[in-house]
Amino acid sequence: MDEKEVGILACSGEECLGGTISRLATRRVIELLRPNRAVTLCLPLYIAGGEEERAFARDYPVIAVEGCGKHCSTRATEKFSGKVHDTVEVAEILGEGVALAKTVSTRDFTAEHQDMVKIVAREICARLDAIV
Amino acid sequence: MSKVVVIPCSGIGKVMGLLSRETALEVTNRLAPEITETACLGQLVTGDEDARVKITGRPCITIDGCTANCAIESVTAIGGNIQAKYQVLDEMRKHRGKNAGDGSMLTVEGWQIVDEFAAHIAKRAEELHKEGRTNG
Repeated sequence: MDEKEVGILACSGEECLGGTISRLATRRVIELLRPNRAVTLCLPLYIAGGEEERAFARDYPVIAVEGCGKHCSTRATEKFSGKVHDTVEVAEILGEGVALAKTVSTRDFTAEHQDMVKIVAREICARLDAIV
Repeated sequence: MSKVVVIPCSGIGKVMGLLSRETALEVTNRLAPEITETACLGQLVTGDEDARVKITGRPCITIDGCTANCAIESVTAIGGNIQAKYQVLDEMRKHRGKNAGDGSMLTVEGWQIVDEFAAHIAKRAEELHKEGRTNG
């Protein structure tokens, strides 16, 4: 059976915890939870890459994973590539206080942080499963 | 003088992206928080006005994980003033044979790379900050 792949694009924001969670949750989906169904792209490759990178939203239905209300993943995709299929917002799932908290190095990640990543990863999977 | 802005690529696919990100956080959160800060690369990519204001007229240091040079390209696209450019690949050549980890978690050896790299970049940030004060 031909399996449909979905593009997951994390904002990976450096200034708040939501960005770190978006990045790690996306990696968890790609590596562990849906390894054959999901692909990703470094967001700034929309600028630094070529036509192949800018075709991302045309080649795959894209789920944007946003660490904060700036919605950089959605905005970048729609500016350089195409429409976003769905959006997962860390602030909606974990609360704005968590998403906008000071960013944390993975060196200082706690079990609580890991749980946050798992919760957001599960939500990404739910959205992905609805597409495929 | 305003702070030096340290901008990593935070590439999501490989360990080099995580090394760039953690190095930037080590500089801005631990080694030199009084004179440095970071900025979201995603905001620079979208041309966000707040991000543009944040980096305008301030010295920027970029840390790229691979030869796509996403941090350099994105800061340049928004008109930022890059005063120093670093490549994780260059740093890793000094640590041949070491296993740094993967894109989600670093190993002990990976953190050693971050600590050495960050110390070097923090020193450069201090020089840039002093130059800025001297030049007014």
